[in-house]
Amino acid sequence: MAQREALLVDTFVTLADTMVSDFDVVDFLSLLSDRCVELFAAGAAGLMLADSEGHLQLTASSSHQMRLLELLELQDDDGPCPDAYRSGARVVCLDLRDAAERWPTFAPAAVTAGFRSAYALPLRLRDEVIGALNLINTTVGPLSGDDLVAAQALADVATIGILQNRATRESQVLTGQLEYALTSRVVIEQAKGVVAHTLDVTMDGAFDRLRRYSRNRNERLADVAQAIVTKTLPVDALILR
Amino acid sequence: MDATRLAALLRSVDDDRRNGADVGERLCATCVEVLGVAGAGIMLMSEGEHRGTLGVSNAVISVVEELQFTLGEGPCIDAYNTTLPVFEPDLGEPAVNRWPAFSGPAVDAGVGAVFGFPLRAGTANLGALDLYLADPADLLPRQVDDATVMAEVISATVLSLQADAAPGTLAPELRAGLGHRAGVHQASGMVSAQLDIDVADALTRIRAHAYTTNRPINDVARDIVARRLRLA
Repeated sequence: MAQREALLVDTFVTLADTMVSDFDVVDFLSLLSDRCVELFAAGAAGLMLADSEGHLQLTASSSHQMRLLELLELQDDDGPCPDAYRSGARVVCLDLRDAAERWPTFAPAAVTAGFRSAYALPLRLRDEVIGALNLINTTVGPLSGDDLVAAQALADVATIGILQNRATRESQVLTGQLEYALTSRVVIEQAKGVVAHTLDVTMDGAFDRLRRYSRNRNERLADVAQAIVTKTLPVDALILR
Repeated sequence: MDATRLAALLRSVDDDRRNGADVGERLCATCVEVLGVAGAGIMLMSEGEHRGTLGVSNAVISVVEELQFTLGEGPCIDAYNTTLPVFEPDLGEPAVNRWPAFSGPAVDAGVGAVFGFPLRAGTANLGALDLYLADPADLLPRQVDDATVMAEVISATVLSLQADAAPGTLAPELRAGLGHRAGVHQASGMVSAQLDIDVADALTRIRAHAYTTNRPINDVARDIVARRLRLA
């Protein structure tokens, strides 16, 4: 296998590996941008992800120079990445010196920094676009067809990894909330029983005392109930004075 | 289950959700229809405890759920704890008598074979799906596959219902089936205070009393709450 193919395969394996262990989106995308520079002999690479409001945020850059250019793109919403994110399609500029009209801020700045051509590939799964991958080069002219296919494949793998990670985290938050809600309902009933017996009141009377105590102290009812049940809060504390 | 049927199933579950139908009952009825079993029940659990029943398809499975809640043993509890499916193709003459208290009354209620499938979301356990057959028999491989799919549909539905709930509260659709155990938890609190033991031990005492006196645990709990019964 040619050295380049070997590096490409290794990149896929490393990305897949990152997804199963402790996943960190920034580490994951930094790795991807570094590998893009090596694989495609790009001058620089960078990745942007949209936040929950749909605004692109700078997530990873292969160099400081790239970072500054990307910040410029974001600041004026002008450049290949915002275009690829908005359209969900690949953006190509073979000579940045001709692009001053298209990207009035980005193109002259990139040329001044020594870059001549730019690509942006959408991070996209079906209808969902979550960001874009930026590749810029110091030479004029196109990437090879093979390079483009490989770069889009890397972008696709990154997209699946990020979406998968989001889904897992959402489900973790939800199951945590479900567990808390299930358990706290039970604990509140148990605390009512403890209070009803100890103060010789009805269940409704017990509930009123628990609720009043938690409201007065601005504590969660479930937390007060838990403290009563585990005896870290004496029932006497609920007696009205 | 083929893709068309699964798609139709997911659509109908979603319709039920929107129409405010009793999602638990509908999911159980769907299990019975899709899997060709005699009955299905869904149990929600947290922190290793049976928190209540989300739905049952008939009176027999309701007894199965009741027994498991009362005794703290049975196929659902094992499926939840091991996170693996549990198969008992012959409850009357089991190869290993795993559930000494559960099996007799379940057979008397009309259960020939019983199965439990864990309800999981990622690494979290939400509860279990109970299935039974009237006569002793194994589930077919196709039924096992479909039951696994149904368990996933149920887990996803439970989470999507909870996603709409106010923070710190249980989704109303999930609450309905759990409320009827409130008395048992109140009674656990009372017994815990009376005997100065922790609430888990108090629940064990109430369970033991229900089992030895052969009474429904809700009835025992009601007597404790009404101060007609005091456990020694």
